[in-house]
Amino acid sequence: MTAEHEQAPQSTRQPLLELKKVTKHFGGLAAVQDVDLAIYPQEIVSIIGPNGAGKTTVFNLITGIYLATSGEIIFEGQPLKKASPHQVVQRGLARTFQNIRLFNNMTVLENVLVGEHLRLKASILDAVFRPPWVKQEEEEARRRAIELLSFFGQHLVDRQDEYVINLSYADRRRVEIARALASEPKLLLLDEPTAGMNEAETMEAVHYIRRLRDELHLTILLIEHKLMVTMGISDRIAVLDYGRKIAEGLPDEIRRDERVITAYLGKAATADRQTWQVALRPQPEGEANNHHE
Amino acid sequence: MTLFLQLLVEGLVIGSIYSLVALGYTMVYGIIELINFAHGDIFMMGTLVSLFMVTNVFHLTDVSKMSLGGMLVMLVVTCLASIVICALLGVLIERIAYRPLRNAPRLAPLISAIGVSLALEDIAKAIIGPNPVAAPYLVPLVHYSIGSVDITNTDIIVLVVALVLMVGLQWLVTSTRIGRAMRAVAQDREAAALMGVNVDRVIAITFLIGAGIAGAGGFVFLLSTNNTVFNIGFELGLFAFTAAVLGGIGNLVGAMLGGLVIGLIRALVTYIPDRDLPFGLPHGGVAWQDAVVFAILILILVFRPTGLLGQQLAEKV
Amino acid sequence: MAMLVPSQILPQTGETRRLLLKWVIAFLVPVLVFTLVWSGEAILNAALLAIFFPGSFSIAAIAAGLFMLLFYGIITGLTGYLVAADSGRQSLLDLWISMFFFTVVPILLIYITANLFVGLAASVVVWAFYYYGRRLVRRFRPPAPLPPLPSLKVLDAEMRATLLTRARLGSFWFALSFSLIWLLVDLLFYFTGQYGQASLVFLVWILLRSVLLPVAGWLLGSLGGLVAIRHAVPANGNGSNGDRAGAPVSTRRLRLLSATRAREEARDLVPNDLPLRSTGARNFYLLLLLALLVFYPMIDPFLFGPGTDSRLDNYGNAGYYVILALGLNIVVGFAGLLDLGYVAFFVIGAYTWAMVGSPQLTVLTGIHINPDIWPWLFWPMLIVAALIAALWGVLLGAPTLRLRGDYLAIVTLGFGEIIPIVVQNLDKYTNGTNGLTGIYSPAFFGVHWNVSTSEPYYYLILVLIAIVLLANLRLRDSRIGRAWIAMREDEIAAAASGINLTRTKLLAFAAGAFFSGIAGAYYAAKLSTVTSGNFSFSDSVIYLAMVVLGGLGSIPGVVVGALAVYAVNVLVLPQLDALGNDPSSIIYPIYTHILQVIPNFSFSNIRNLIFGIILVVLMIFRPEGLIPSTRRRHELHHTEAEGVEITSLDTPPGAPGFESEMRVE
Ligand SMILES: Nc1ncnc2c1ncn2[C@@H]1O[C@H](COP(=O)(O)OP(=O)(O)O)[C@@H](O)[C@H]1O
Ligand SMILES: [Mg+2]
Repeated sequence: MTAEHEQAPQSTRQPLLELKKVTKHFGGLAAVQDVDLAIYPQEIVSIIGPNGAGKTTVFNLITGIYLATSGEIIFEGQPLKKASPHQVVQRGLARTFQNIRLFNNMTVLENVLVGEHLRLKASILDAVFRPPWVKQEEEEARRRAIELLSFFGQHLVDRQDEYVINLSYADRRRVEIARALASEPKLLLLDEPTAGMNEAETMEAVHYIRRLRDELHLTILLIEHKLMVTMGISDRIAVLDYGRKIAEGLPDEIRRDERVITAYLGKAATADRQTWQVALRPQPEGEANNHHE
Repeated sequence: MTLFLQLLVEGLVIGSIYSLVALGYTMVYGIIELINFAHGDIFMMGTLVSLFMVTNVFHLTDVSKMSLGGMLVMLVVTCLASIVICALLGVLIERIAYRPLRNAPRLAPLISAIGVSLALEDIAKAIIGPNPVAAPYLVPLVHYSIGSVDITNTDIIVLVVALVLMVGLQWLVTSTRIGRAMRAVAQDREAAALMGVNVDRVIAITFLIGAGIAGAGGFVFLLSTNNTVFNIGFELGLFAFTAAVLGGIGNLVGAMLGGLVIGLIRALVTYIPDRDLPFGLPHGGVAWQDAVVFAILILILVFRPTGLLGQQLAEKV
Repeated sequence: MAMLVPSQILPQTGETRRLLLKWVIAFLVPVLVFTLVWSGEAILNAALLAIFFPGSFSIAAIAAGLFMLLFYGIITGLTGYLVAADSGRQSLLDLWISMFFFTVVPILLIYITANLFVGLAASVVVWAFYYYGRRLVRRFRPPAPLPPLPSLKVLDAEMRATLLTRARLGSFWFALSFSLIWLLVDLLFYFTGQYGQASLVFLVWILLRSVLLPVAGWLLGSLGGLVAIRHAVPANGNGSNGDRAGAPVSTRRLRLLSATRAREEARDLVPNDLPLRSTGARNFYLLLLLALLVFYPMIDPFLFGPGTDSRLDNYGNAGYYVILALGLNIVVGFAGLLDLGYVAFFVIGAYTWAMVGSPQLTVLTGIHINPDIWPWLFWPMLIVAALIAALWGVLLGAPTLRLRGDYLAIVTLGFGEIIPIVVQNLDKYTNGTNGLTGIYSPAFFGVHWNVSTSEPYYYLILVLIAIVLLANLRLRDSRIGRAWIAMREDEIAAAASGINLTRTKLLAFAAGAFFSGIAGAYYAAKLSTVTSGNFSFSDSVIYLAMVVLGGLGSIPGVVVGALAVYAVNVLVLPQLDALGNDPSSIIYPIYTHILQVIPNFSFSNIRNLIFGIILVVLMIFRPEGLIPSTRRRHELHHTEAEGVEITSLDTPPGAPGFESEMRVE
């Protein structure tokens, strides 16, 4: 499989998800404008850009939470035309939110079970009469939910009966990903999955995002602020600024792109500039590519 | 046509009373998102206070024997008493039954409000008994004819009082310090508290004003209908609340508009005589009055989900 | 061999001895009070009489006797379980005082007032004072805090043996002391000549009883022990197998959980600091409750004397409130949709059977009704009524889906107002304000069933409640139930997890209305008459009060809430005047000397005042309800964290204009 995604963007292959001139206006504000983007199977693609650049809005447009003003979003060759969020999930896209949206008063396990909603078949009558197959389905669902939790180690499995509100921030992010995985997506959209995490947790997040692709063969679209994360794991990076895509390419290309640097340096605060410059520093070869091993 | 115009006037009069009561619902909802079920009963208490004042304090039996000055004093004092006592009652209720529940699950204060409503009705029943009580005329009834439409001086008083109070309230909320504080608390309680607004006090003042206006409503109601009953607040309150929702809950102008609309609908529906209803429905409009009000309400809400004037709240998540 | 028996029945260690003393006394006192002071003995004697003297044969008495055996059996087993399950860390005296207040006090108060619900209500008042007093005492003498997590022992062969022995000893000593004291009392009465000429049967009974009780205790103890073992942590239990059904929690996992969650989980464990509240004990209570409910009509005459029929009638009415509350709980508690017009579906259900199952059908359609066969139609019509109500639930739900919380509430309110008006005005079909009369009771094999017999209705509603309860529990723990709760918690996240919001909301409305329809059909059959004027907004409000008071989203909570509201409103407050006028009652002096001074004072005039005050006070002191669902209890302790509101979105995500309502990040 390594061979497969090393030569990632191939014009001959059909993209899994394709955005064509997608535009979204909020009143007078053009939050997203004429964005084109293609994501190929088993790629990790990042969207970066300063705050307010329209990254989350792109996610909301893809997942059917907002309606695009114009443009087309194509998934597996079929347009996602006005599909409502649950239909989008059904097609094989799942997402997490920048401000974690878990069901706080449900347990970890129940949260993941909700994610399995579409996979389960029991109707309201089946739920009441609970024939053997439903019982089996329910047991199977629990087993699978725990399996998904165990993707993040025994740690979350042990806390399966905890209310998510009692979990650490990093754990909540993990549960949210587990919930998204529960719908068996082909494409996973992660909105700033390391926001609010400390260094160690961030490193771990980088690790499991890679594993999501390598072990579960998922395609991942990622919004990420921390450049050390994006640079390390992305196959390709798209840069948004003021709703427009100003650059797209391999991490190395983006690192050197003039427009990207000005977009960031032009508006970022000093602290931001420093992170950017740290990230721009050329990385040792082995570290940048160690996920290929 | 005459009947139609006559009903229009009637509708406006009762509608403006709905509006006065609806203001209280909408203010309280706007600020703490509570359907204050006891509000209608505060209105009812207003009618009782007015009744008590005229019969037991002014010993009114026949208003035509009173001097004009005496009558004016009586009207003003009664109205003020009703406003003050209802306002205090409103604050008291807020203090006892709602404030302890400020951070409770959302339906807890609703049930508490229902409890207060039941309690107030029984207190009223203990005072005036279970049957409607007639009040003497508060002003000598004078009929004016405009064209063929008959308007009484009480109708005019009701409309004027309602108009004055509504305009006054609108001014208060938009142009004064306390009004600004109220709007700030309604927008975002925590932010307002951080800005130094005394949230508890602002909420208490909201109840004070809302209940005071309901007290005035009680007074004009007694003035125009000359009777009251212990559960009048429940019935009238239901329509006032409906009016508040119809206009867009949380919106003062909406509440006024909603009250008038509902008053007009209820009055005009009675215009439809028996056998003239669509689909061969039996009985005249009177029997279907309430059903029509709610049916129209549902229709309006289906097409304008936040009421006539309510704007959609942008919640940031 | 001879030495074996005494060594087995004697407690070996000091700790066991202390536990035995603690629990045997704790249970002996209430059981003796019930048996000797009240009706336990009377019931058993009546059963004996019924068996051995053909002249006085009575199935009811025998059934009542059977219940008593069950009662003693369950209590004996429970005592054994508790001895085995107790960690022994809580003080002895504390337990005895609590047991006195929670068992002896209600038994005595019910006895004094000769009315189950007035007695219970009085007990609640006493309990409130007890709690208050206890808190005062604790403020001055705070109890030494226990370490947060129970020191769990791991179940190995030795522990297993200890648990079993303790349980056997507990049950045995309880049964032995009970039978000895009973024997002593009987002998005392016999030798003081109170019994007159005791019959042979009686003497044999005493002898048999005194021997059999301890033996039965020994056997039942094994049962209690087995229950305790089931909840102990197995030696190899790592708790990570994910098989939650009855799987004990491992020590390690408990340590990982947060304090609140660990406390909830610890309830499941043996040994336990508060064994009375443990899951094992709860199973015994449920068994006891079930036995009581099933046998209640037979034991009622022994407990409260004549008037059983009218009491059962009341319970038959209370029952449909339970169903209504359970149905409304789905809409409000699970799905978070505020419904203020729930009465509409009840009306629809009631009129469905009222129009089909009464002479009105002949009037309308000319169909001839055979009164022998027609009542059988009740059973299919019960389902039909529920389905029609559910259909209306969907019809009402469809236009309201776009509305946010309180707009939804007002639309449901409007619907609840419209339906009774429509029913009233379409008098050609529904007979308007005069209502429909002569509605048939259901028919069933071998049951003599008409309006004046309340026992069949009691059992009917019991069965209906059981079915509805089961359906509710299963719904809650199903894919659909999870979708409801998820939707209540966060609509956007729910939609992004693949939940179809429209459909899920409609399902909630339909399910809620379905149960309301069942309650309505039952109501029509039971009262045999329905009148449109009997249904109004205030009914919807009362149903909502039941649900919120009991605990939103908590199934046991809403059952208790429904019963409590019904009992206070119908069984307690209306009794107060009669009680006040009864010279032998406790409130007689207050009533005659103080309250009567107020002109034309009577409790019936201030019923709603008292009820209203109760609502306010309860909400202030228990805003989360009497028995909150664990979720909700939890939520309350986290109000500062992202709170969850009962509101729905104006516009579903993905619809035009959604973004102007909500910004999703
Ligand atoms: N629902 C909305 N209504 C109005 N403006 C919005 C809405 N959602 C996002 N915006 C605006 O669109 C722009 C892009 O926002 P967003 O996509 O959240 O940025 P980010 O790249 O930080 O995720 C911002 O200027 C934001 O204020
Ligand atoms: Mg963002």
